[in-house]
Amino acid sequence: MTEEQKKAANKDTGVFAQIDGLQPVDPAALEQFKQTMTEKVIPEIVKVVEQRRVLAADSRRRHLKY
Amino acid sequence: MYRWLALSSSADLIQLEAHISSEYNPKGVAESLCDGISDAVKGVLIEEDYIDKDYRSTYYNFYAKKGQRYRPDCVRIHFFDETVSFEAKMLRLSCPDRLADHYFGYMVLRPTGVSTIGRSLVSPDVRRGARGFIISADHKVHLLGYKLKVQGFPSMDQHNDISVCAHVACWSILRHYSERFSLYREFYTYDITLMAQEFDPGGLVPSRGLQLSHAERVFQEAGTFPVHITRDGPTDVSFFRQIGAYVESCFPLFAAMYAEEHAIAVIGMERSLASPASTSGPRFAWDMIDSLTVIDDNELPYLSIPVKKGTSMYAAEDIDAFIVPLPEKVFYPADAVERLAPTLFMLGALVGLPPKDETIIRYFITTGSTLRGFMRERQSEFDPKLLETVMLLPFAQFVWVVEFATDEQWRTGQIAARAVIDATASLREVLPLWLFHSRTQALVFDRQKVGLDLSAGMRTMTLSGMENTALTRMEQNLRPIRAK
Repeated sequence: MTEEQKKAANKDTGVFAQIDGLQPVDPAALEQFKQTMTEKVIPEIVKVVEQRRVLAADSRRRHLKY
Repeated sequence: MYRWLALSSSADLIQLEAHISSEYNPKGVAESLCDGISDAVKGVLIEEDYIDKDYRSTYYNFYAKKGQRYRPDCVRIHFFDETVSFEAKMLRLSCPDRLADHYFGYMVLRPTGVSTIGRSLVSPDVRRGARGFIISADHKVHLLGYKLKVQGFPSMDQHNDISVCAHVACWSILRHYSERFSLYREFYTYDITLMAQEFDPGGLVPSRGLQLSHAERVFQEAGTFPVHITRDGPTDVSFFRQIGAYVESCFPLFAAMYAEEHAIAVIGMERSLASPASTSGPRFAWDMIDSLTVIDDNELPYLSIPVKKGTSMYAAEDIDAFIVPLPEKVFYPADAVERLAPTLFMLGALVGLPPKDETIIRYFITTGSTLRGFMRERQSEFDPKLLETVMLLPFAQFVWVVEFATDEQWRTGQIAARAVIDATASLREVLPLWLFHSRTQALVFDRQKVGLDLSAGMRTMTLSGMENTALTRMEQNLRPIRAK
């Protein structure tokens, strides 16, 4: 691949192409965040959303009168 | 027929008893008003033979079928300040300037003998004890050829027979929606009783109350997308933070208290002036809330209830579940935002955030266009590159906004950083963001790419000129109560 082809391959497309002053982010800086989200936060979110669904099923039968 | 009552103080409202027929229960109404309405009300206009659409809906379908005869019309009482006078002969209201600026709203009285306060739109400014900020809409009022306006939230007493607390809480929220958003039509009291069931709930069925599932059904039938959140035990702080977040997003909540078998509409809140003690993690905006403002069908509107139960009838901590009638395109739940927001501190080195233990997190829903409007109005606060970015990002209609502030910034209505989350994101996304910026750095996300490859879908931008400018907290459209 020539230098020009490399440059073209790295050139931003989509919304990034329209915005000036953007710089790539070092992938290493995201590793810990990605790992925490994947291993801890997302499973916790999925679990709590499921818990809310179960709790709401019980709550739906509650009676309101006064 | 119109009658004018001049008042020297709210205690004079007791005179209503002498001017209104007993089937409207003027004594009970007057006693409530004497206790609950401020002395700023100096004039009351009593409008007889008023045709109220909500009462008529229950009259045609219920009261007209009873052995006891009920009148088909109502009485409406209007509240004015000291500058307004009434010329009875000419049926003219006089005021030195714009009449609408001296109008505090109205209250319809139904001819039902008990629980007679019907559809009411009263300014929160004249409600004794009302505090903080509320969700509100402008409601048009036609009176004697004058076009008036009152900014508030609809309320009424429950009928006891044809509707109970849960019907009223649904009606109140949906009437606010029909005034605030052109998307939603108006539903009358009897419509709500029909919408709650799969069948026509004639007879005494409505008086037996509603289950929460019925309330959910009402909101679905009305075209909203209700989210039902139930408290997971007494230590579920996330439940209460979500109450605060939705109210700040201007979505009123249908709230249920199991022990009391009672439903209310949560429509506002009051922030505390004092900061709570630092903790080992970030604090949330809910920690800074002193009280909630609610519509309770057993009380006059804008009842202020404390967060913790003391001598009050009930408190925010008594709420066991709530239903928030959301628009369609909010898929990413508050529970996810609640957990994602503290995790964003792990990107702190790229953005520049205050220490986690010294930060207050506030999150709410808004539209992409409101966010753009907010930034456009305050463009001097932002690096033009950041402003351009926000104008170019192809936001979905709704976004979650997360704001990070230190104690000092919180007190002065400032923030340190703001994250914009895609409200249409799915639960399992690692980076469901559009933008995350502080005063010095921004992370910009391409939602087409970031799900496939984090670093390919993310760019950083160095900001300049924002180090010492204001970075204002994004207050939504909550209306401050200015006690009069």
